[in-house]
Amino acid sequence: MADSAASGSVDKSVQVKLVLLGEAAVGKSSVVLRFVSNEFQANKEPTIGAAFLTQKCRLEDRVLRYEIWDTAGQERFHSLAPMYYRNAQAAVVVYDVTKATSLEKAKSWVKELQRQANPNIVIALAGNKVDLVQASASSPSVPASSESEDEADDATATPGETPSSSEPESLRQVPREEAQAYATEAGLLFFETSAKTGEGIVDIFTEIAKKIPIEHILAATRGAAGRPGASGSRPGAAAEGSVNLDGNTKPKDACNC
Amino acid sequence: MSTISTALRNFKEPTKEQLTQIFFSVPNTPSTPTPAAGNGTDKTPPPSQEIEKMDINAVLSLGVQGEEDSYAGKLYIMAPYLAFASLDRKSVRFTIPLSTIRRVERLNARAGIYALSLSTWHGAKIIVQLTSLRPTADLFCSLLRDALKVELQRGQMRAVKGFVKTCYSEALISTTSTVADNEREDGSLISEEKEDAAPRESTYHGGLGLKFKFPGDPKKLREASKIKLWTQYLRVHGRNLTLLRYPQCTRLVQVGLPNRLRGEMWETLSGSVFLRFSNPGFYEELLEKNKGRSTTSTEDIEKDLHRSLPEYAGYQSEEGISALRRVLQAYSFMNPELGYCQAMNILAAAILIYMSEEQAFWLLEVLCDRLLPGYYAPSMHGTLLDQRVFEALVQRCLPIIHDHFQEVDVQLSVASLPWFLSLYINSMPMIFAFRIVDCFFCMGPKVLFQVGLAILKINGEKLLQIQDDGGFLNLMRDYFASLGDSAHPNSPDPRARAITRFQELLLVSFREFSIITDEMIQSERRRFRSEIIHSIESFSKRSAIRNLKTLGRFSKEQAGLIYDALYKAMCIVPPPPELQLLTAPALVATGDVGTMTEEKPETRIGLKTFQFFLSEIATWARDERIVSNGFQRRVDREIAEHEFIDRLFFFWDTSCRGALSFQDLISGLDGVIFNDLMENIEWFFNLHDKNKDGFLTKDEVLTLSETFLFIFRYEVGDAYLGAVSRFMTNAFEYGDALQPETGEAPIINEQGGETPPAVPTNQPYLNLATFRMVVLADEVLESFFETDLSASFRLEPLPEMELPVSSSGLLGDIWSTIATDNNKKMFNMFTDEIGKTIGKHQVVHRPSIGRYTKLEEPKLRESLLTPSMRHSASKSSLSAESTQTIATSTSTSSTLSVDVNVGAGKGSLPSSNSSYTPHPMLQAANIASFMERTPFAIDDAKDDEDESDEDLEDGENDDQVMDEVDAFLEAHDSGLTDADKEVAKDLLHAEPVK
Repeated sequence: MADSAASGSVDKSVQVKLVLLGEAAVGKSSVVLRFVSNEFQANKEPTIGAAFLTQKCRLEDRVLRYEIWDTAGQERFHSLAPMYYRNAQAAVVVYDVTKATSLEKAKSWVKELQRQANPNIVIALAGNKVDLVQASASSPSVPASSESEDEADDATATPGETPSSSEPESLRQVPREEAQAYATEAGLLFFETSAKTGEGIVDIFTEIAKKIPIEHILAATRGAAGRPGASGSRPGAAAEGSVNLDGNTKPKDACNC
Repeated sequence: MSTISTALRNFKEPTKEQLTQIFFSVPNTPSTPTPAAGNGTDKTPPPSQEIEKMDINAVLSLGVQGEEDSYAGKLYIMAPYLAFASLDRKSVRFTIPLSTIRRVERLNARAGIYALSLSTWHGAKIIVQLTSLRPTADLFCSLLRDALKVELQRGQMRAVKGFVKTCYSEALISTTSTVADNEREDGSLISEEKEDAAPRESTYHGGLGLKFKFPGDPKKLREASKIKLWTQYLRVHGRNLTLLRYPQCTRLVQVGLPNRLRGEMWETLSGSVFLRFSNPGFYEELLEKNKGRSTTSTEDIEKDLHRSLPEYAGYQSEEGISALRRVLQAYSFMNPELGYCQAMNILAAAILIYMSEEQAFWLLEVLCDRLLPGYYAPSMHGTLLDQRVFEALVQRCLPIIHDHFQEVDVQLSVASLPWFLSLYINSMPMIFAFRIVDCFFCMGPKVLFQVGLAILKINGEKLLQIQDDGGFLNLMRDYFASLGDSAHPNSPDPRARAITRFQELLLVSFREFSIITDEMIQSERRRFRSEIIHSIESFSKRSAIRNLKTLGRFSKEQAGLIYDALYKAMCIVPPPPELQLLTAPALVATGDVGTMTEEKPETRIGLKTFQFFLSEIATWARDERIVSNGFQRRVDREIAEHEFIDRLFFFWDTSCRGALSFQDLISGLDGVIFNDLMENIEWFFNLHDKNKDGFLTKDEVLTLSETFLFIFRYEVGDAYLGAVSRFMTNAFEYGDALQPETGEAPIINEQGGETPPAVPTNQPYLNLATFRMVVLADEVLESFFETDLSASFRLEPLPEMELPVSSSGLLGDIWSTIATDNNKKMFNMFTDEIGKTIGKHQVVHRPSIGRYTKLEEPKLRESLLTPSMRHSASKSSLSAESTQTIATSTSTSSTLSVDVNVGAGKGSLPSSNSSYTPHPMLQAANIASFMERTPFAIDDAKDDEDESDEDLEDGENDDQVMDEVDAFLEAHDSGLTDADKEVAKDLLHAEPVK
């Protein structure tokens, strides 16, 4: 697992439980990995039930500690999802811009969240794999190590893809406008992302961080925070694993870890 | 956009016999390897005669030196297997195919002792002393003899020789000694067995580990000494097909199987070796037949291939990946209902390190079918159930931890679900997980629970510190990462320091949680099964409703009621399997969508199921007979069949697939239930306008009238009958009047097809406006369309359906055998008979609408005879017949056997589809005659279907009883007195009877 950047100072950081949902193979795990860890391992262990990762972020003067639950995408794991999204303050619902059905699935997740989950939950809709539909010239990958090439395997594991540079737009099945319109209508944050290039990934978490009623959470968790040895206190790995969300307008130098 | 599965309703608790089979890992004879129709091989299971089963008390001893112990237990014959278990069910046991028994001798021993000596293929001599009464023992022997003969005839005896060559243990033994070979010579029934020698080595099956190395350091794992111990054990106690499991076997498993032997021992201990033995070539054939086939499962598999134990070298090569692909695909082909579930990739990848593809395939079958039942099913009910059971066990065994979790709202399954789902392989370092898997195959599914409890117990103090799910997971992750560390790093004793945390874990698992037995897990599963089924079902109901594209004008509650009716219909009349999941290919075949949009599988129902569904909702879609016979008053409900219902089915099938989805039903009902007068008239018109040209043909007018008669068939009084007659008269009158070139008399009542009518019956005839006018001209029909039609669709809560199981225990069993549907029927028939004889039997049909219960005056019926309907002959014949029927019905006096009429009416209703013309009036006559009788007071009739809902919850006491029985068994371990042991010992040296 990625280093669970546990907080040295429990009191200052705000814990935010975030759950990732979406159809299988839309790249949920890749999105998380892009956000949480730079040392990407090809073919991470598959998600059984849910994977659990943490990442600390700084936003202005606050430290947020994201507890990320990356759920399994296969349909039959659906009935387990409530276990993971209960009490979640934020959710990222991921779909694949090259697969129309994945947006349908995403919509149904959103519906479910809005009905069943925490009423104040902040939901972000992320259309992943945009790198596949951008003209190849305009996809200057991030300071790409060989590892992020491997990541592409994961992010683009749609059958029969091979993004031919000739007319990449033809791969797109979900127009940006359509998804944007839906997101606006349903009151969601909306991003198009690429776990492969890193585009838009950090923005999701930044915007969520801004939108989340932090004071609310603080008030709610204050009681619990005081107790010693709370949740995974492993000091040491604290500082280096965090992401600075401050004024992060350019997504590309997002992962500074 | 969702699937609805009733599979959970079909669950049946295993019978005692099945439990025994499960215990002995005997493949359930007919069902297991039958591949799904159409896509598997058409290999039929061997023609097994009626399988004789019998068990008998016996004392087992082994004809070798060094193993002096004898064990009392039970010997089972379950052709084609012979099995034994000691009384405590764990010390000693074996399951061997009869075909490996090479000689059976009756032993010459002390008087009164009945003993057999069985020589197995591997030369072990098993001596069983049958301690039951003589006749029982004789019977057992004759069964055994017959079963052995059958095996010989089937050629299975020959198959053994080739088969054992695929087992590594043979190579292992033959390189070290020739004892087994010598032993074999004398006992063998097969002559050509002498030429074995060298080529053996290369033929045994093995896994990727042989090429890519096994995980772990062989030195640290002490492979060499383990192999030595196992070699000794296997030489004496048989191996692969003939392994006898003595206590030492379990102990050896608990210290970890040696890598090279591991695969074979897994298949032997789990019993999957029997499947491989009895289905040679099946795996290859299955793959061959399904070559190149692509399903949703194969797509899912493809996504996960590179994510299955990726750190293992074998899965960084194409060889390993393709082996994994083939095994998973083969399984999904064999069991398309289950298909593929994430986590199976991990299991398959793990076992492929140690086994060949074919071995792995069969082991996967045993895992999914028997050891982890329902874990990977589409609903994952087995997983959810066992999580619930685990939670209950934690509550019982570790109450403090359980309470703390409750307090801080931490969910156990967050961590424990993957433990169970992937047999800990996904959670622990592989070398440790495999040792748990060793124990799991040897000792059964309870091991998963024992280990889980031990993990929690060992981490107890830290667990009490955690505050949330995340903390729990982190703690577990750290613990698993440290399993290789010393459990007592600060101990002064070097031996204590050498104990790893993993060893400590196993110790705690099997020492402190030995109280967890398979029986306990079984009974806990029984306890929670209905709860789990319930929650799964209500979850899928909620998501089915949520996933509807439109609710129409229904509220969510109403949609829920419709779902319930659909669900009930699906339980009782399951749609044919090919309908259940109409997926993309079917869509393309119908060609109504140009682009290949991939569609989610969606549950659809066929006509039969629809009929049931509709009978739950529409009052006229069922025949309800209110029967009162002096003892009881009940409503017998039958599903009505009529062309109208079929018509509705196809009318609602807007996407023309010959099947309806939940959405179709919602939209269809939405189209009628909320209608007002005009909308209803139009709806009804459209329903009968087949070609949608805005005109009814004459035939269609007649059909429409049929529909009226069908809907009104049980109305009391003849107001409706009159109305329909008037409708027909008027319709034809107006219709004719509106025809541009009318010629002759329009009514074609009797002649039917013979004289062609003026207007061909299939020409446009009546338009909506005319139809409306005709309907509105009649008060009865008007009120029918105004309210009654819509109101005849009733969304009422269904009585809770009985869950399939959960009545455990003696009382429950007795009750469930008594309260079957059949018996209920018999009881009903019985009381009916009595009722008839004492003259209290009454049967009344419940009307579908029940508005005009008071008769309108008969003169209304006279007015049928408007000028256009001049065939007085028909009229007279009609009335003649009707009086006749009345006569018969009254002549049968007070018993009022209405059934006669019902039969007649029913018979003529469906048959009227083909030849329309003469029938309606006949029916009308029947119905008229039926309605002449005095109306009964029926409004207060109540359903009394809820008789069997009691007695469902008395599983509690059984646990205690079972516990006591267990305790009893513990106390008498080998179950033998010293004298008995003497006898057993003597037998070892006894001579065969001449």
